[in-house]
Parts: sequence; C-alpha cells; structure tokens
Amino acid sequence: MWGRVIEVMTAVWLALSPYIFGVQHQDHTVWFDSLTALAISVLAGLSYWRPTRHAHILTLLIATGLVLYGRFAESPPPPWHQNHIAVGLFLLMIAVIPNYASEPPLAYSQRLRRQTDSF
Amino acid sequence: MSRTVPAPDELHRPVPPYPHNPSAWSQRIPICVLAMVAAAISTHLSLYQWGFIDGVWDPVFGNQSSQVVTSDTAKRMFAIIGIHDAALGTLAYLGDAILGFAGSTRRWQYRPWLVILFGIDVIPLGIVSVILVILQGMVVGAWCFLCLITAVISLILVYWAWDEVRVSLTFLWLVWKQNRSPALLWKAFWGTPTDEGDAAAESLLAREVK
Repeated sequence: MWGRVIEVMTAVWLALSPYIFGVQHQDHTVWFDSLTALAISVLAGLSYWRPTRHAHILTLLIATGLVLYGRFAESPPPPWHQNHIAVGLFLLMIAVIPNYASEPPLAYSQRLRRQTDSF
Repeated sequence: MSRTVPAPDELHRPVPPYPHNPSAWSQRIPICVLAMVAAAISTHLSLYQWGFIDGVWDPVFGNQSSQVVTSDTAKRMFAIIGIHDAALGTLAYLGDAILGFAGSTRRWQYRPWLVILFGIDVIPLGIVSVILVILQGMVVGAWCFLCLITAVISLILVYWAWDEVRVSLTFLWLVWKQNRSPALLWKAFWGTPTDEGDAAAESLLAREVK
C-alpha cells in the first residue's frame, strides 16, 4: 500500500502549500488546497477497505484538475500554481500504482487459491 | 485481507530469450536507483531555474550551464508547460523510479499495462529528452554538463528497461497470435487471469534461451 501512503504524504504537502508559498492570506487558495488534500486522503483511505479498493483511481481526476487549474488559473503560473501542476503530475503517476503493488494481483492470488483447494 | 502468493519459483522463472527474469528485483532496483540519481540532478537544475540557488554546478563547461538552463528555449518551454523543464525532468525520472518499483517479479505477465506504462515513460520519453538536450546545446550554442549526464542516464535506463518491455509485449503478442481474440488480449493487458493467458505465458517460458 505504499502508493496510498505516498498519496497521503502528498496531500499533507498540498495542505501546507499555501503557508510554504506565502499565500495563506488568499482564502480561496487555502480552501482549495485543503479540500483537495482532504479528498485525496479520503480516496487513499477508502482504498484500504476491500469494497472500495479501487477508490485511488479517482485521484486521477483530481490530479488532472490540479494540473489544469495550476496551468490556466494565471499565466504565467506563479509558484503556488506551479506547485499545483507538479503535485498533479506526480499524483497522476502515483494514483495508478495498485494496492499491494509488490505482490501478484488479487485475481491471480484467488485463482491460485482455487487451484490449490481443488487438489 | 489474506492473500495467497504463487510459489516463489513461479514468480522468479527466467523468461527466454533472456537467461534471467527481466521483472526480477535485481533487474529493476538498479533502474530505480539510477532514475533517482537523475531526479536529484534535475532537482538541482530546477532549484537554479526557480532562483533558489545562485549557480549550476559544472566542472566542464563552467558558466555555459547557466546559459542553457536560462536560455530562450527553456523559457519558451516554461511558457508552454507552466513549470520549468528541469522540474518536468525531475517528475519524469521520479516516474521511472515509481513505475519501476511497482509490481511483482512476474509483472511482465500479471500486470503488462504497468510494464508498458513504465516502458512509455522510460523509452520514448527518454529518447525524446536526449534529443532535446542535444538540440538545446546546438541551438543555444552552449552545453550543460549535468544535462548531458541526465541524457546518458536516460539512455542507460532505456537499455536496462528494454528486456522487460520486450517480454511483456511478446506475451501479449502470443495471447493474440494463439487466440485472435480482442477480449482475451484486453484481459491479458489488464492482468485478468485466463487459461489462454496462462498458456501463452507457458509457451513463452518454454522457448529456448539464446
């Protein structure tokens, strides 16, 4: 589940970003970053529960939104919007990482279990 | 969540025509480490482009590195992408490391989509970045030592990643050749287990090692 752990760590970075980039006086930026970070964390958390194990895939939509918002909100993008682009691109890579990425997929494991049980 | 992992031998079988398993950790960890080195170098260049440091380390071309990193070409790329090209390079190399690290030691069969995504990140993007570095040097008329180092690393990564991508593509090609079924090919690509997929994998594993 290291992919989900990194997503939560990235969400923490995003939530802190307005203060790191000195735009904490911009309420909309603080709210946007905080709510986006919360959404990423919730989706990563839901991925730990088997019925919603694919929830992290929805982070791809958030990541795409972050990239587009960062790129087109202001031109040229100021540092805090460059941060949105960079975080979005990073999340696009992390969000595709499967849960239990170092093990064979669940479907293969279940198939093997059925084959083992039939003997 | 209890999980049954296939027998170790199944996960580590060498895949012809190679005498080794291209998805083995011993094959992938060096790729991840080298990609992280390139990411660190790109981060150094990004810090200069952002103005956090005063100069670029260059023991060979001296001040030419600064000219390359702050050239009109680099500024045009920033205007298009919205972040500096070195930062984009950092993300791309991080992607190589992340996608190289994910997946089991039989991901060439169990997660072909991941291997192909890894291949797209390493091979075409790596070659394009090398061409861009060389073109940048020729257009700007100055050379950047660290940029050239990352270009060499990109080429090494392409060479190291090729065997796994080749094996995964060969597996998918065998699934198609043996069944001519788009549905089965689709399932094989996304790592859905089928008897036909297993048969294709076995026929690949049974080939002669050259």
